[in-house]
Amino acid sequence: MNERPISGAMLRGWGFVVALASVTLPALPLGPLFAQPPLPLAALWAAYGWAAEDKSGWQAPALLAGLGLLHDQLAGGPYGLFAALYLSAYLAGRVAAIAMSAPNLLPLWGGFALTAAASVGVAWLLAPIAIGSRASVRLYAEAAAITALLFPLVRPLYMGEASRFRGGARR
Amino acid sequence: MAKRRSIVRRAGAGKRFSPGIMLAVLLGVGAVALVVANSGRVPGVAGAGDDGAAVAGRVATGPARAGESFFQRLATMWSASARVQELERENRELQTWRELAGRLAERNARYEALLRMPENAFGEGADVESAIAAQLVLDSGGPFTRTLVANAGADHGVRIGYIVMNENGLVGRVVSVGRRSSRVLMLDDYTSRIPVMGEASRVRAVLAGQATHAPELITQPYQVQPPRLDYIVGAQNLREGERVITSGEGGLFPRGVLVGIARGSANGEWRVSLSAAQRPIDFVRILPFIEVEAPEATEVAGQGPPLASTSSVSAIGREITAAAPTEPSPPVQQRPRRAAETTTAPPAPAPPPAETPAPTGPPQ
Repeated sequence: MNERPISGAMLRGWGFVVALASVTLPALPLGPLFAQPPLPLAALWAAYGWAAEDKSGWQAPALLAGLGLLHDQLAGGPYGLFAALYLSAYLAGRVAAIAMSAPNLLPLWGGFALTAAASVGVAWLLAPIAIGSRASVRLYAEAAAITALLFPLVRPLYMGEASRFRGGARR
Repeated sequence: MAKRRSIVRRAGAGKRFSPGIMLAVLLGVGAVALVVANSGRVPGVAGAGDDGAAVAGRVATGPARAGESFFQRLATMWSASARVQELERENRELQTWRELAGRLAERNARYEALLRMPENAFGEGADVESAIAAQLVLDSGGPFTRTLVANAGADHGVRIGYIVMNENGLVGRVVSVGRRSSRVLMLDDYTSRIPVMGEASRVRAVLAGQATHAPELITQPYQVQPPRLDYIVGAQNLREGERVITSGEGGLFPRGVLVGIARGSANGEWRVSLSAAQRPIDFVRILPFIEVEAPEATEVAGQGPPLASTSSVSAIGREITAAAPTEPSPPVQQRPRRAAETTTAPPAPAPPPAETPAPTGPPQ
């Protein structure tokens, strides 16, 4: 059998589809199984992976901002909250890309966990401003934790084997 | 010789008839007797005759029919494959229709459940006749907000502030309206606060959404909120399992709409198990209920802006109090209300009231 390797572009396309599904599925009246949580925040995977992979430097933030605004619209606002969260995850991913030196799984996983934690921190700061003082980030933190746990399963969709998490390779 | 003997015998018999004539006569008499006795039809005999005729007919036409069916079978075999494909296509179509019929039956049952809601389920003052049925098409489902989107909007008559119910109880309130959709703030959203009371104990409280938990029934003054909980009286009388209904205070909800069941906890907190959330919320009724209109929305026909004020009291006062006519004055130019709300200029002369003659002098 002659098996063709799946191209990186196709994997990235699927990664975008998964991120889009994680934004749109919770908005559909499909029941509690498709709520968020337990559905992971796949846009965080995209933010982290694209921070390492994006060559142009502008496509990833633009896509993430679009995904965030779409998420805000479907969730009923406030506009900008999810966009800020996804972009903060992107920035955290960029910091991780510069700081890390080993491209193997464990540091990547740890880096993503830190990125997700950073986005929870941003949510903790922004949610009371955007929604009200009684707003809680507990559900968002739960969704981020589930997202971090599932990261090794979806990593190929967002970053290649030899991603730019090599020390100084980005510079 | 023989001919001659016959002639002799016949001549000797005198009046003898031939057998053929006698048989014909007998049969004729029998036929006439049949006609006269049973009007031409004896059931038993006729049935037996029909049977015999049918058998004879089948036998007679048998070869022709056999040939016909043989050729039909040949033709059918020739087009069997096409017929199988056609039947499969029809089967698929029928399955699609069956699924559609099932969905429509389910939807019909849901609508019937909505329409059979008792009159008192809508509370006091709700315009049940103008209720709009809608289906929920989007659910925020996110970690921060608890809203739903219904497929009825301004084109269907929905306005901000309308209340949303299903057959189990109160769902929430319309907070934004598009042309064909409206967003409903659910009772368990962080920002939801509605005045409620116990149905039996009449204990007043404010239902505050928590999003992560069942809504908390606030029975003590809340630190962050303004002191609107002061009117809570008799909180200790609230009973476990008591039905919680809207109290109607504040004018945003009609009084008496079922909200849920009060549940106490060990630490003294009261929560409400929402009735509407007993099952997935799909079809709802949107009811007009806007008891208190914003003062800015109050139109005063033929009147200008109030005297550098946004208070509706001044507008009402102008309507019922005519300016004292003293001497002529130039006509007052009408200005939009919004412009008047933002102006800080000194008070301008009041325009004339709608139902009074033009003043003859400046206002006092």
